[in-house]
Amino acid sequence: MEAFVQSLVSGVLTGALYAMIGVGLTVVFGVMRIINLAHGEMVMLGMFGAFWGHTLWHVDPFISLLLWAPLMFAAGMLIYRLLLRKIIPGGELNTLLYTAGLSLLVANLALFIWTGDYRTISLSYAMLPMRLLGIVVPVPLAIAFGLAVIITGALQLFLARTDMGRAIRATSQNTEAAILMGIDVEKVAVVTFGLGTALAGAAGVLLAPSLYLYPTVGEILIVKCFVVVVLGGLGSVPGAIAGGILLGVVESLGAVYASTAYKDGIGFLIFLLVLLYRPSGLFGVGKS
Amino acid sequence: MRRLGPWLLGVAALAAVPLFVRTSFFLHVCILVFMWTLLGAAWNVLGGFAGQVSFGHAALFGVGSYATIILYLKAGIAPWWGIPLGGVAAAAVSMPIGLLCFRLRGPYFSLSTLAMAEIVRVVALNWEWATNGPVGFLITALPPLRILGREVNWESKEPFYAVAAILALMALVSTALLKRSRLGAYLAAIREDEDGAEAVGIDTVRSKVLTLALSAFLAGLGGGFYAFYFRYVDPDTVLGIGLSIEMVLIAIVGGLGTLGGPFIGALFLTTIGEAVRERIQVGHLIFYGLFMMLVIRFLPEGIWGRAYRFLARRQAGVPRHGAA
Repeated sequence: MEAFVQSLVSGVLTGALYAMIGVGLTVVFGVMRIINLAHGEMVMLGMFGAFWGHTLWHVDPFISLLLWAPLMFAAGMLIYRLLLRKIIPGGELNTLLYTAGLSLLVANLALFIWTGDYRTISLSYAMLPMRLLGIVVPVPLAIAFGLAVIITGALQLFLARTDMGRAIRATSQNTEAAILMGIDVEKVAVVTFGLGTALAGAAGVLLAPSLYLYPTVGEILIVKCFVVVVLGGLGSVPGAIAGGILLGVVESLGAVYASTAYKDGIGFLIFLLVLLYRPSGLFGVGKS
Repeated sequence: MRRLGPWLLGVAALAAVPLFVRTSFFLHVCILVFMWTLLGAAWNVLGGFAGQVSFGHAALFGVGSYATIILYLKAGIAPWWGIPLGGVAAAAVSMPIGLLCFRLRGPYFSLSTLAMAEIVRVVALNWEWATNGPVGFLITALPPLRILGREVNWESKEPFYAVAAILALMALVSTALLKRSRLGAYLAAIREDEDGAEAVGIDTVRSKVLTLALSAFLAGLGGGFYAFYFRYVDPDTVLGIGLSIEMVLIAIVGGLGTLGGPFIGALFLTTIGEAVRERIQVGHLIFYGLFMMLVIRFLPEGIWGRAYRFLARRQAGVPRHGAA
C-alpha cells in the first residue's frame, strides 16, 4: 500500500511537469495547427540554461527561471517571426517536417557545443529528507511541482480573463470568425508561439535538478509530450493537464508493478490506443 | 530504346567505378550513397507517392537489420540470403502497423508511426532473449564465398559496392514500375484527395497497406545491408528516431514523389555529411537539419523536382520567364 501511494505521489509530481510541457505544445497547435517537433529542444534549452546559470554564476535553478522564461518567450516569438511564418501556408505536413529539421538543428548544435556528456545539477538541499505521512518526496521535484502548478494556473487565468487570452481562445476555436471579429490573428500567433516556447523552457528549468541533462534529451521528451497532448485531446489546455498527470502516474505505477524497462513502452501503447479509438482525446474535447 | 540508352550508360559507369578508383574512402562514400538511395526510395514510395509521411521507418529498417544479423549468427544463414529475408520480415511487421496506423490521417498518422517506432525500439532494448538487449550483435567474420572461381575478399570494399549498387538500382526500378502501375495511379489519387479517391471506388486502405509493405521491404533490405556492411547492430543505431528523420530528409531534399529524387538526395547529403564528419563528429546532423529547413522553405519540390521541371520546360520550347 505504501509503495502504491509513494509511486502515485511521485507520478503526480512528474506528471505536473509533463503537463506543463504538453500545455505549451497544445496551445500552439490550437492556434496555428502546428505540431512543433522542436518543442522538446526548447525544454532542453531550458534545462541547459538552468545548468549554466548554476555552474557559472551559482544561481539557484528555480531563481534563474525569472531570467530564462522571458528569454525563451522572446526566442519563441523570434522563431515564429523569422522561421515559421512563411512555412505555415504550405500545409500541416510541411510545417511538421520543417520543425523536425529545426529540432535536428538545435539538438545537434547543442551536441556540438556542449558535447553529449550527461550532466547533473547538485543542489545543497536536494538530499534533505522530506517526509509527508511516511512518503518520501525529493525536495527539488516538490519545488518544481509547486512552481509548475502556479505557472499553469497563471496561464489558465491569463487565457480566461485577459483580452489577449480571450483572443487566443477565439482564434483557436475558429480562426476566420476571429479575424471577422477584428482580432489581429498574426499577433495572437506570435504571442502564442512565444508562450508555448516559454512554457517548454520553464519546464526545462524546473526539471533540470531532477533529471540528467544531455543535448538529445528533447527526443524522449517530445514523444512523451505527444502522448500527453493526444491523451487530453489536441488543442485542449485542461486536457493536456489531465493527460500529463495521467502519463506521470501510469509511468510511475507501471515502473513499480509492471517493469522499469517497459515503463516507456506503456506510455506509447496508451498513446496508440487513444489515437486509434479516441482520436479527439480521452475527454473528447480535441480537434481532429 | 532511346530512353533506355542513358540508363544503360549510367549502369555501365557505376560498374566501372571500382575498376578505376581504389581509394577505400571514396568507395565507402559510394556505398553509403547507394544505401541511402535505397532508404530514400523506400520512404519516398509511401511519403512521396502516397503522401503518407512516416516518422517511423527506422522500425522497418531495424527489423530488417536484426533479422539479417540474427539469421546469420543464430541459424547460420548467409547475409546474401538474410538481406532479402530481412526485407520480408520488415514487410511482415509493417502489415499490422499499417492496418492500425492507416486509420489515422495527416499529422496524426505521422505521430502514430513515431510511437510505433519507439515501441519497437523499447521492445528491442528489453527483449534480451531475441535481441541481446542494449548490447546488440556483432559479426566477427563473414562466411566464405566463391564467385567465378575467386574467393571474395570481405575486407575490401568492392563486394559491398556491388551489392549496394544492385540494391539501389533495384529500388529505383521498382519505384519506377510502381509509379506506372495501376496502384501508382491510385496512390496519386490518394495523395491529392483521399476522400475523392474513396468516392471513385479506390480501396484506399488496401492500396496504402500494400504500398507500406513495399516500402517496408525496401527499408528492410537497407537494414539488412547495413548489418552486412557495418557488421554491428544495436537498438540505438538501427532503431533511433534520427534514422527515420534522415530517410525523410533524403527524399525531401531530392524531391518528393520523383523517381530520381532519392538518388540525388542521397548523393548530395551523404557527400556533404561525410565531408563534414571528417572534421567534426556531430556536424553532419547540424547540416541535415539546416538543409531540411532550407529546402522546405525555398525548394519545396526538391532538387530533382526543380531540375526536372526546368528541363521539361526547356524541351517544350517555352522561354524561361514566359515572355513570348
